[in-house]
Parts: sequence; structure tokens; C-alpha cells
Amino acid sequence: MTRVRRGYIARRRRKKNSSLVSGFKGAHSRHTRTINQQTIRALFYSYRDRGRKKRYFRRLWITRINAVTRENQIFDSYSQFIHNLYKKQSFLNRKILSQIEISNNIGLSKISYKIIKPNKVNEERLK
Amino acid sequence: MATTIPTSAFIATPLRCSTGRSSAIWVQKAQFSASSSSLGVSLSLKRPSLRLVSVRCETNGAGMPVIPAEERWMYEESEINGPDIWNKTWYPKAADHVNTEKTWYIVDASDKILGRMASTIANYIRGKNLATYTPSVDMGAYVIVINAEKVAVSGQKRSQKLYRRHSGRPGGMKIETFDQLQKRIPERIVEHAVRGMLPKGRLGRTLFTHLKVYKGSEHPHQAQKPIPLPIRDKRIQFVKK
Repeated sequence: MTRVRRGYIARRRRKKNSSLVSGFKGAHSRHTRTINQQTIRALFYSYRDRGRKKRYFRRLWITRINAVTRENQIFDSYSQFIHNLYKKQSFLNRKILSQIEISNNIGLSKISYKIIKPNKVNEERLK
Repeated sequence: MATTIPTSAFIATPLRCSTGRSSAIWVQKAQFSASSSSLGVSLSLKRPSLRLVSVRCETNGAGMPVIPAEERWMYEESEINGPDIWNKTWYPKAADHVNTEKTWYIVDASDKILGRMASTIANYIRGKNLATYTPSVDMGAYVIVINAEKVAVSGQKRSQKLYRRHSGRPGGMKIETFDQLQKRIPERIVEHAVRGMLPKGRLGRTLFTHLKVYKGSEHPHQAQKPIPLPIRDKRIQFVKK
């Protein structure tokens, strides 16, 4: 049989893969066999982390709200703040709350004053 | 409430002039001031007779440039309306965590319970009391601890709490009690406590360098004008029974 070259098929497939791992360190973006492995990992991680991204950000917002709530001392903690928020049937979500508190010095304390229930303990705090 | 609005938060993008229309009205001579931020180029003027005129573009009330409706497609949304703060969680820029502009706090450790004090210190160093807290960035403050040799522990810990270290060689474990270490190197006690409460990793190690512990009440950081660390823990004072 005559010699058959396969042409550009393999190269085309590998070029498609290598665009997914551009910028990876060392051999991971240069050698074809490691590129194969790294694309599988990259795609796996991006699939999995699209779900995790939502968790991470919610966690970050909660930490930020907790920090400011404790500083303001109107409520003792994030948990109390959120509990009162729900009791007042507010629809503000954590993302919005954390952006409010960063862009605006007193935004969160204004919200806290609105939702705090006046009773003996809280009346002392409000003074 | 000691929060300050970070410098990068939601400041309008540099003024951009829309095409031709408005710039012709304001500029007397075709000269740009050297501080115009929309150009990356600074022009040096050699002839003394020219007057420097700053380019002032039409802006609306919010400081954003007015872009006529026919030209809106040329610009991105953030250039037209400003950054979208409701859909992009704030992340600090370099200017928001410059070390020279961070607060310095000072704590007097005399008769304070070791762990409770270390916990508040670690919170402030990490920046967890700030609205701008970001886990991947060093947003925290500096903390000075003085009178470290007078830090207190409850119960029998003074003679029973062990500090261990290992030299790496077999049989190389060295053990000291709280008492002995306090006589030898009192600063190490507070440092050990706070280091255990900071994150472990590259960032944690840089955070640890923001803690300054001194025995005695003198410290060399008067120029930083440290303010007293606000401690809200009610059980932090050591009560002798």
C-alpha cells in the first residue's frame, strides 16, 4: 500500500483544545498530551464551579453584612438582623444589602433602624 | 462605625468627550491640560505664550458625559451609565488597600485573657470588621500590643499550658510551660495565639506581619497615631479570685 498521511485532522482537533488552556503554566499549555488532560480538568471545574460561584458570593455577602451589623451594634449579629428583616417581610436580598453597605456609610444602619422592633432591650439601644 | 467609602467605589469613569459637537464649544485653543485623565498622553508645551485650557465636556448632573442617542451603540453600558453596582459585587482595587493608609490600633494586654484578646486582634487584622472585607485581599488594620508580659490566663494554665516546638531531628521536641515562656520571650505567647487564629497561607503570613507585640509599654509606632482597639468582649478582663 502507498503511504497515507492523515493530514491536518489531528492538528485541528488539538488546536481547538489548546485554545481552552491558553495561559496555563508551563507544559500544561504547550504539550499536547498534557493539554488533553488539562482541558478535561478545566471543563470539569468550570461546570462544577458555576454552581459553587453562587455559594461563594452568597457567603461573601453574608460575611460582609455580619461585619457591618456587628459594628453598628443595633443588632448583635447577622442572624438577628436577618430574622428581623424577615419578620418585617422585606424583600432585600443579601447581595443588595452588601452593596448598599459598601457604597453608603449609613445605609445599613438606616435599614436596621427601620426594622428593629421596639421593646425594652431595643429601646435602650435606640437611645 | 469607622467605615469609609473605598476610593474605587462607584466613581464616575473619566470624562470622555463625545464626538466633535461639545468640545468645539468649550475649547478656545486646541490644547489639552496635562492632567486630563481621558488621554494617556501628556503634552509638554515649550512656548510660554499659550494658555493651558482644560477640556470640559458636556456632562449631566451625575458627572457622566452626555452621549447622544445616535452614538450610544458605540459605548459600553458602563461608560454610559456608570459602573453597575447592583450586578457586580464590589472587589477592592489597589488603591483601597494601600498599607500606608491603614488604621493602626493599640491594645494594652495587661490582665486581659489571652485567647479572647487574640480573637479580637485577629478579627481586626484580617479586616473582618469592615464592610469591605474580602478574603483574598489584605484589607485589615495594623495592631500593636503592649505589656505583653502581663497577659493573663485563667485556671491552671499558667503552669499547665504547654508550648511545644520541634527542631526536625528525632528526639528534638522541646516543651515549655506558659510560665517559662513568659519569663523567656513574653511576646511569643501573644504571637502564637494570634497566629493560630489568622488564616494559614501566603496571605495569612503577611497578615501576621501586621501584628506588633512589645513587652513593656513602649512602642516605636507613635508616628502612626494608633487608636485604642474597640473590644466588645465582656469577659476579657481577668478577674482574680
